Amino acid sequence: VTVLPITVGILVAGGVYLLCHPTLVRIVFGITLLSHGANLVLLASGVSAWRGEPLTGTGDPADAGDPLPMAFVLTAIVITLAVTVFMLALARVGHDDDTLHVPDTGEDHRA
Amino acid sequence: MTGSFLPLLVVVPLLGAALGTLVPGSVARVMLVLSPVLTSAGGVALLVAHRDTPVLAADVGGFVPGIAIPLVSDTFSAVMITVTGLTTTACIVFALISGEARLRFFPSLVMMLSAGVNGAFLTGDMFNLFVFIEVMLLPSYALIAMTGTWRRLGVGRLFVVVNLVTSTILLIGIGLVYGVAGSVNMAVLTDMDADDPRFQLAVGTVLLALSVKAGVVPLHGWLPRSYPATSASVMALFSALHTKVAIYAIFRIHQTVLDGAAQWMTVLLVLFTLTMLVGAYGSLGEKMIRRSLAWQMIAGVGYILLGVGIGTQLGLAAGLFYMVHHILVMGSLLLSSGAVEHAYRTQQFVGLSGLMRREPLLAVVVALGMMSLIGFPPSSGFFGKVGIAQAAADLDGFRIWLVLGTLLVASIGTLLAMTRLWADVFWGPPLEEMPSRGKGHTEPPVVPEGTKMRAGTLAPAGALLLVSLAIFVVPGPLWELCQQAADGLLDVTAYVETVTAS
Repeated sequence: VTVLPITVGILVAGGVYLLCHPTLVRIVFGITLLSHGANLVLLASGVSAWRGEPLTGTGDPADAGDPLPMAFVLTAIVITLAVTVFMLALARVGHDDDTLHVPDTGEDHRA
Repeated sequence: MTGSFLPLLVVVPLLGAALGTLVPGSVARVMLVLSPVLTSAGGVALLVAHRDTPVLAADVGGFVPGIAIPLVSDTFSAVMITVTGLTTTACIVFALISGEARLRFFPSLVMMLSAGVNGAFLTGDMFNLFVFIEVMLLPSYALIAMTGTWRRLGVGRLFVVVNLVTSTILLIGIGLVYGVAGSVNMAVLTDMDADDPRFQLAVGTVLLALSVKAGVVPLHGWLPRSYPATSASVMALFSALHTKVAIYAIFRIHQTVLDGAAQWMTVLLVLFTLTMLVGAYGSLGEKMIRRSLAWQMIAGVGYILLGVGIGTQLGLAAGLFYMVHHILVMGSLLLSSGAVEHAYRTQQFVGLSGLMRREPLLAVVVALGMMSLIGFPPSSGFFGKVGIAQAAADLDGFRIWLVLGTLLVASIGTLLAMTRLWADVFWGPPLEEMPSRGKGHTEPPVVPEGTKMRAGTLAPAGALLLVSLAIFVVPGPLWELCQQAADGLLDVTAYVETVTAS
């Protein structure tokens, strides 16, 4: 029972540590860890023990797992994936993933 | 009218966004203008319908009520949809004039943004709120990275990281709510014991995340740094939509789910008065028009949320009234700045001077907009502040002094900031004779001989300002709508009945 909270704690701690770095790629890794922590919190809000699959006609509903948190997690994963891709693209633009300095975009800075 | 019409407000802009990537640019731009016009028309239709039926609901997919994900509309959401639709139209017209709408995918991104905003206003489900906020944010990430100054990529990173971390906290909060209550349907959550500390903690996490997105001090730092780096039309769009969606959700969740949580009143009042002060005086350190206005946006968030802090019917109605006023006036001022940038290619104080004589029409629009922001008549800001002051007068003990005193001191701050902006940009010698005030790379850019603003670029800002002036002349209808919306937030019987029975 205590495995899940400890895992969430480790993931969030690692995520926050990486977020404190100035480089965007590490921040992206940090956010990935954080969102995994959040997904586990969502899963824990259902029933964390092993249960039957929540499909109609496959057994007693009383033994089935709660499908709603799983749907939450699926949605959250998709959203995080999309933003992660976008952020990796941002890290690539300007050939430099340092967030402390303004990336050179090749544009005229006066314009 | 039945609730089955509600999904259209999300589906139509979303379809428009999908089609907009396929059709030629000119067709996409027609759709881009039509989409917010249709949205505000739908909002007005909802407002008319809510005279007879206070709440409309639709269970998407036809599942059993309570399990289905409902779309719900009441007066509050209808007012928000109408006002944001109107302001979005003005921003889009400006984007068409300034040529930004010609950027590839710009029409699609803005329509997707509107779909997310409408969905967030209509949803009756917390998880769906998270999804719609993400639908709203994803196109914004792209918009902030493709329009505006060279600084946009750096602040785009800031904007994405802050919003993504906040969304993760929002998600955790919603998970906790589900763990405690077994539902994330807001109508079902009204049955929960609002004094249960576990439930308060869970909902509190959700509200914390929403406060970051709204820009409440001390969680505001990202806003004045990221917004001004985009273009004026996109900043006006964000200012009308993003923070206001978060504020809408705070009003809704704090009042209906948490029953107003009166024991936290003092904490909220201190936070919101602090927001007003920091926002009002933050402008004084800025040297660009839109950076200065961004701080006033934060001050506005404080004024609006005071309605939640006070929590009475009068307070909520005054907060909503102020929100409508603030969306319109901030849109007008930001688009005016956009018109300046379009003609003079700068928004820096060092590069602008003596615009009062050069551009009299602009001077009138901006002066009236500033007076509205400060709270002088003849503008909607006057009644906005009167309403909040009246609501605050019903508080007890030191709170009344806290709120009224801050109202006064913060208004003076706004006055000082706006006077400084006015003196730097509108007074002073004509542009051609302007002494160099800058050092190094802030040397004022040379303005070509005979540069003048085209009157058309000022039209969107002027239109929004006219609405603000109209509210000053006839505040009654809007005030009644706000009161009706506040009643709907305080007495949730009709809301719950409609959602659980539809």
